This record gives sequence, structure tokens and C-alpha cells, in this order.
Amino acid sequence: MLTSGAFEERRTSEGRILGLRIIFGACFAALAVSFWLLQVVQNAKYEEEASNNLLRTIPLRAPRGVLFDRDNKVLVENRYSFTIAVLREQTKHLDQSLKRVAQITGADEARIRDIVQRRQREPPFRPLPIIEHATFAQVAAVTARHLEMPEIVVQQVPTRSYPAGGLAAHLFGYVGEVQDAQLDSPEFSQLEAGTIIGQAGIERVYNSHLMGTDGNKFIVVNSVGREIEELKKQDPIDGHRMQLTIDYDLQKALEDGFKANGYAGAGVMLDPRTGEILAMTSQPEYDPNDFANGIERTKWNSLTNDPLKPLQDRLIQGRYSPGSTFKILMATAALSEGLITPDYRVNCPGSITLYGHVFHCDKKQGHGSLDLRHAIEQSCDVYFYRLGSMMSIDTIHAYAEKMGLVGKTGIDLPSEVSSLVPSSEWKLRTTGERWYPGETISVAIGQGQVSVTPIALSTMIATVANGGTVVTPHLVKAVDSGSGWQSLAAPAPRSVFPIRPDVLQAVRDGLWLAVNGAGTAGRARVDGHPVAGKTGTAQVVSAAAAKAAGHGAVHLRDNAWFVFYAPADNPTIAGVVFAEHAGWGATAAVPIAHHVLETYFAKLDKRPLPTVTMGADGVIKTVMAQPAAAAPGLPASQPVPPTPGNPAPVPAGRPASQ
Amino acid sequence: MVDRRLLPHLDFPLMAALLALTLIGVSTIYSVTFDLRANQPGTEFWTQVYALPVAFAAMLACLMIDYRSLAQRSLFLYVALVALLLYVTFFGAVRGGARRWIPLAGFSLQPSEFARLTIALVLAMYYGDERRSARSARELITSAIFVGIPFWLIAHQPDLGTAATLAPVFLGVAYLAGLRLKWIGTAAVVLVLLSPVIWRYGLKDYQKERIATFVDPSKDPRGAGYQQIQAKITVGSGGFYGKGFRQGTQGGYGFLPVAHNDFVFSVLAEEHGFLGVLLSLGLYLFIILRSLDAARLARDRVGAYLVVAIISGFGFQVVYNITMSAGLAPVKGLTLPLMSYGGSSLVATLAGFGLILNVRMRRFTN
Repeated sequence: MLTSGAFEERRTSEGRILGLRIIFGACFAALAVSFWLLQVVQNAKYEEEASNNLLRTIPLRAPRGVLFDRDNKVLVENRYSFTIAVLREQTKHLDQSLKRVAQITGADEARIRDIVQRRQREPPFRPLPIIEHATFAQVAAVTARHLEMPEIVVQQVPTRSYPAGGLAAHLFGYVGEVQDAQLDSPEFSQLEAGTIIGQAGIERVYNSHLMGTDGNKFIVVNSVGREIEELKKQDPIDGHRMQLTIDYDLQKALEDGFKANGYAGAGVMLDPRTGEILAMTSQPEYDPNDFANGIERTKWNSLTNDPLKPLQDRLIQGRYSPGSTFKILMATAALSEGLITPDYRVNCPGSITLYGHVFHCDKKQGHGSLDLRHAIEQSCDVYFYRLGSMMSIDTIHAYAEKMGLVGKTGIDLPSEVSSLVPSSEWKLRTTGERWYPGETISVAIGQGQVSVTPIALSTMIATVANGGTVVTPHLVKAVDSGSGWQSLAAPAPRSVFPIRPDVLQAVRDGLWLAVNGAGTAGRARVDGHPVAGKTGTAQVVSAAAAKAAGHGAVHLRDNAWFVFYAPADNPTIAGVVFAEHAGWGATAAVPIAHHVLETYFAKLDKRPLPTVTMGADGVIKTVMAQPAAAAPGLPASQPVPPTPGNPAPVPAGRPASQ
Repeated sequence: MVDRRLLPHLDFPLMAALLALTLIGVSTIYSVTFDLRANQPGTEFWTQVYALPVAFAAMLACLMIDYRSLAQRSLFLYVALVALLLYVTFFGAVRGGARRWIPLAGFSLQPSEFARLTIALVLAMYYGDERRSARSARELITSAIFVGIPFWLIAHQPDLGTAATLAPVFLGVAYLAGLRLKWIGTAAVVLVLLSPVIWRYGLKDYQKERIATFVDPSKDPRGAGYQQIQAKITVGSGGFYGKGFRQGTQGGYGFLPVAHNDFVFSVLAEEHGFLGVLLSLGLYLFIILRSLDAARLARDRVGAYLVVAIISGFGFQVVYNITMSAGLAPVKGLTLPLMSYGGSSLVATLAGFGLILNVRMRRFTN
């Protein structure tokens, strides 16, 4: 009983139901196409993005190579230290996280913020170290709250560990994060920001050996960063071990000598036959451990603002007037040129007038008549003024060059400065004026325009000691790049200058007399082992100016020098001690060298090593050990008891005996 | 109490499709909520499993009583619904900043889920019984007011998403009841013209933010844009065959939030790939077309309107959720009927299909 109206209506509604079918059908078709586009056409792109979500690379820091001394004593090693780091991508509220970490660890919140701020540009999934060398309590506090704060992680990082007290600080240098500017250089272009590299000293020069290759751990994480599984691990490869030419005992003796006095300055002992450096120091020192994981700003500021400039390596970066030690070169030059014979005598009345100017001897009443040997022994200025008047500055310059006093020695440390002995060409080039012969006179006693580094002076005395070879001072004996120790060939000498035997003998006689005769260096004598040497006392300003400033002005006091070698007849050790503003070479520099030489020979004779103490007369004294007494302790080899805050050292490989 | 002769007219293919989708849903929930550390299924899985028999019981209950007698009592149901919504508004449990739930003997009841069914019955009765027509503006507006009251109450919980699902119910019925297409066009034009005004005054800040983020998710990749970006990655990384059951990383490792709920389809797409997507889309489309068939075959106008009302709401929600789960629509708290986690939703959805089965089963009775 369908009416036409009802029929009409039914037709309409059937049409509309069909409309709904079409609408839904179209929607589902569109959905199917969309999913096909996403899942099949663009699959690769989204698959990669899904992987990015859950794959993480955790860098594993490679321990740097261990440094040994020439007796295979460990000098620099690595310790594991705990670092508390923040994974910024794991938190939406970084501020709160940092605040909370500071709260539970008792760390300085402002400092943590500062660190995070500074390294803001690094990828957010890389852990940012916020507390280094964390204590056990801090580690425990963070670990206990891991669920609550998954963004805070504890890492174990091998950290450089240097001998206590800044021993040989300038030699080792320090490590630090690679600087932005360094990343642009070809040497470091492969590295990522935050990598630890050597920034000074041996650490810097041999960085490619010492650094090792960091490893990686590839892991799967969930959305809160929890590690679900480890996919792959590339173990870090340790840096190469290196054996230095340094002798720990001599190094310690040298530094003890300086520290007993409290002098600033520099000293070096080397083997004149090879150029191997046995000990070297620059005083005052800094503690390289402070740099091992990023230095604090306040500490850095105090180092850079210190008037004594502890960061400067005086041995290779300081230039000073060599004073009377320069007379060795003058004597060698005058004899080699045939201007005088060793028997050439000069009468010293206490002063000499040359080019219309009066030059004073150090000894006001004069030395009387002297030959060359005794002029060296007594350090008579008048004798060498006379020699200066007989030679052109260019001759002096030529001999300075032959004996290693011009330019750089080529030591394997960064930022060595050039030593300077003037020449007429040099003066014309730098000042536009010609050289006046009168200027040569002060050069003749190592004053005036002469300015040399202590390390250069050490190659000069080594040249006298070995008979004419300008050795290249160097610090590394052997390297172990994983396949056993490989000896490193000593670098070729800078030059060879065959000193005539008669010349050499005369100069050496003078140097022997200076120590063993009535000379200025008597304090250097060692029983049973003849020492030869020459002191120097170099004015920092003219005597008149020093007087005007008053005696209290420490920075105007004379610099004390002592250059030496031993045994006098067949030298195996040569060296330089430079004591800044310390006064007389004889009382300031010689006793330090003496202590090292006593130590050297005690070790050679297998006697217990001596110690050093301040004497009643204000000059340090070497105290010979009783044969029964034990040798002084060695901080580097003393086992440090492993405590939570100070974990056990990374086992260092023992070098094979050579 | 139900006539045995009616049993052969029960739509078994539709029931099978419904069962299939709920099982796919449960298995996906199992996969994504599996507790890796305890190595056992998550609690969400068990809750959903317990909800299944309840939901199917609700479906059976809804097909037993003749839909006409239900429709005739729809006004009572309507009053009860408004009362419940008012109760929720003042006394409901607050979760996630919204007052939507009534705690009830260990479960929580979400009355808004049942709003759609009640509205469907009311609208079916309004247009079907009295031969009213949506061609008449007066009658259209009257029916709109019926929908408007619960809409407003739900929207103020606030749950604009669920409230919005009432709109397709109304539009579906109005369309079937002869709504002039010219009016729909006019309304669309007016809406577009008014959109700046709506943007300025009609939307809350978080809603604006959602829409802005949808247009450019990279503006806030860690915040509001995160879900959308991750949803796309989840779906896209599934590929043609999928990563396999419990092999999904986006859902399983928690990169995609609420993966067991609003984004359950994304997880399905990740683990079972385009093939799984096609199968599920096919089942959903089958259910919709089969239900529209029931509307066409219905014995009377009330039945036809009832089916269209229910299936319009269902279809809209399915299409929107799946679009969203592929990161192609703004993120809105809308579940995927039959598959998403949530007992109230499952019960309400299957109760609705109970009514659709009811209409089809009684197409020959008088």
C-alpha cells in the first residue's frame, strides 16, 4: 500500500543512502591512498627517522698513552673518574633538572648552568658533563634518582693523572677540550667538539701518538633514553705509550733545588753526547691535573694573572742576557780565529777604557795580569772587554750560530722562541742603524743586545762538552704503538762545528778551574767526579738604575746563571741552571746544579740519593744520604689507595726492558 | 524473550567483522602495552579483555528489545542522559583536566560515550515517527536544539572531540531526512566566512595551538607537534609488510604517546604494514556499507534513521581517527571505535551495532 508520496520518499532516501555510501567509500579510498604514500612510497624516509629515534651512539673515550721515564717509571697515567652528565634531549625542563642536580649533589648551580650555556650548540643527545671528578656521594645521589631523572647520567671517563706538585709541568703540558679555532686546522679537523687533546708540552707535540682512538657504543634506547639493547661496540684504542728521556730522580732533584730556594727560573740537564734531556723545569710550576678535565675559570685567572707567570715555560720561552756564561763563546771564538793564544795575557786594573768609554770589571780592585784560562776561572770582565774590542760583532754572531746560540734549538716542545746574538745586519734590519764597535764590548760579557733561552745556552755548553756537535735537545726515547717498543732515532744534530783540540782544551781548562780552582763555581764540586762550569750574573737593568730603584726591588735584581758539564774529562751530563732575580750565580744557581750532579753521580755509583735543605747561610745544601737509608719516595709509583672518590688507576702497561 | 524466528535474520557477516576488528584492537593493545621489564602484558590489555564480553553482552541486549519500543522511550533516555551529563559537570571525576567520568564500582563510566546512541534514538523518533522532514526549517532547528543541549554540556567538560561526534549523527539523519543540499552549501560558505570570527572568539588557546601546530608541526617538534610527527614516522616506518607483531619500536618504546588509545591504528600500521592497514580499512568499510544496507532494508523510517544516525557518527569517528593516526589531521582526543583502548567506548559502540542488527533483524516483522 505504497502511496505515490511514500514511493517518492523511498526513492529519495535510497538515493541519499547511496550518497552516504559514496561519501564513505571515497573517504576510505583516500585513506588507503594516503597510507600507501606514507608506508610504501615514503617508507625509507620514515624508517630512517624511526631509527634516529631509537639509535644512540655513546662515545667511549680512549685513554691517552702512558708516559714513562728512561728507567720505565710511570710519569703520567690515567685514572677513571666519574663524570655526571646531562642528556638534554631527555628533559623538557632543563632548568628544573639542573636545579635538582645541584641540589642533590651540593654542586654550584650557577657553574652548572654556565657549563650547559657554554656548550649549548652541541647536539642534544650528547651527554654534557656538568660535574667532573664527582665524589662517591654525588654519584650515589644521582644513581639513586635515576628513575626520577633519566636525563642525568654518570659516566666513567679516563682522565689524565699527572705527578703531584706540578712535577715537570711544562714538560708534560696539559690536556683540554679542542678549541673551536683548532677544529679548523687540518690536524684536528676530524675531531668533534668536546674531544680532549694535548694543549701544551709533550701532550701537545705528541698528541697524535698519545691520543688514541675513541670508541663508540651503538645502543637502542626507548623514549625516556633507557638502554634497551647494545647493537655494536667499537672498543677505544689506547694512545701510544711513550718512554721519555727524562730521569725521574734528576727531575725531582732539579725541582727540589729550586723549591728549597723558592726561586723562579729554569733548569735543564741533558746528555751532551745525544741531546737527550734528563731533566728540565721551569719555575714556578702549575698543576696539570687542574686542566685534565677542564680548568675552572678562577683557577685559570689566577694562573694568568700571577706576576710570576707560571704558565710560561722559561726554559724555551724566556730570553735573558746570559752574562758571564757568554765568555765561553768569546774565548772559543777568539782562539779559533787565531786572535789570541791561551797564553795571551791582559792586565786587569779593575776597568778598561775602550772607544772613549770606561768599562768596569766586576772586581773593583782588578785581577792583575791573567791568561785566558784564569780569565775564565776568575770571570774577569776586562779580559773579555779586550777580546770584544778585537773582534767584530759579526764574528761573534758567526760563532754564536756555530755553537747553537742563534735561533731555535728544535726541542720537541711547542712555542720555543729564538735566541738572539746580534749582528750588524740584524741591527740595520731592525733599527735602520749601523752597529757601533762600542756596543760589541758589552756583548763580550753577555750583556747588551744578547738575549738567549736557557735551552739554547744548554746546547752551547753541550757543544763544548762534546767537542763541537750542536745537539738537538729532545725528550722521547721510544714509542709503543701497540706492537712493542720502538726506539726513536735521536734527531740529527743542528750542526757540527769541529773545535780545534787546542782551543777546546784551553776553554775546558778554564771551566775546570772555575769549579775546582779559585773560581766562582766552587760550590759545584762533587767528590770523585770532576765538574766543569761557568757562572753568570746578568744585570737586568744597569747598575745605576738598580741602585736608583732601591735594593728591595726584586724584579730588578740580577739573574743568576750556571752552565756546566761533568765529568770534566769525559762529559756525560751537561746543563744550565737559571735563577731569575736570584742574585749571584755562585750562590743562587750553582748549589741547585750541585744537588742535581750529586744525585746524578749517587745514582751512577748506586748510592742512596741525597736530599736538599736550606743552609744557615741562606744557600741550599745537599745532604748526603746514609748508605742504610732508603731512597726518597717516588710519588708517581706510590700506590694510591683506591677510594670511591679517587678510584684505582687504570692499569698501565709495563714497558718491556730495553 | 526474543522470537526464535528472528535468529536467521541476524547479520552474521557484520558481527564477524565487528568481532575481527575488536580482536585486532586487543592484539594491538597487547603488543604496545607489553611490559618489557616485567615481561608480561600490561594492565591495559587485561582491562580491554574484560570489557569485551561486557560490550558484546550490551550488543545482544540492544538487539533483543524491538528498536521501536526503545525509540518510543527515547525521550526518557534523553532526559536521563542530560541528567547524567549535568551530574558529571558538577560531580564527575577529573582526569587530565577534564571532568568526564563517573566512578562506578571499580570502573569509570563516561556518559558522553552514550550520548550518541541516545541522540540517534531521539532523532530517529523525531523524523521517523511523525513523518517530519528536514526540508522544513522549523523542524530542522527543533531537532538541532535536541542535539545542541548535550553537545554544549559535553563540550564544556571540556571534551570538544566527543561533542563533535554528535554533529555527524545529526547531519547524517538530516541528510537522509531530505535536508536541502543548497542549505548545506550555504552553511559551508557561512562557516568559511565566519572562520576568522570563530578563530578569534570561539576557540580556546590550546585549540588554536593544536590547529597551528597541525599546519606546521615542526614549529613545536618537542611539544604539541610531537605526536603528529611521531604518528607519521610510526605509520611510514611500517612499510608494506610491517615490522611484525611486537616488533614496533615507535609504539613499543614509547616514542608515540597514547599509542594504545588514540593512536592504536598507527601502531597497527607500524607492526602490520600497509597490508594490515588495507585489511582493517576493508573491515571498517564493510561494516559501514553493510550497515547502510540495513538502513535501506529497514522496515520503517525510524529504523532507517536510527541506523544512519549511528553509522554516521561511527563512520566519521573512524575516518577522523585514522586520518589523525597517520598525522594527517590535527590531534584530537578521539578514539578509534572498536580498536582503541577504553571500555565505555567499546560498550557504547557495540551497543550501537546492537541497534543496527536489531533494525536489520526485524526488517520483515510487523
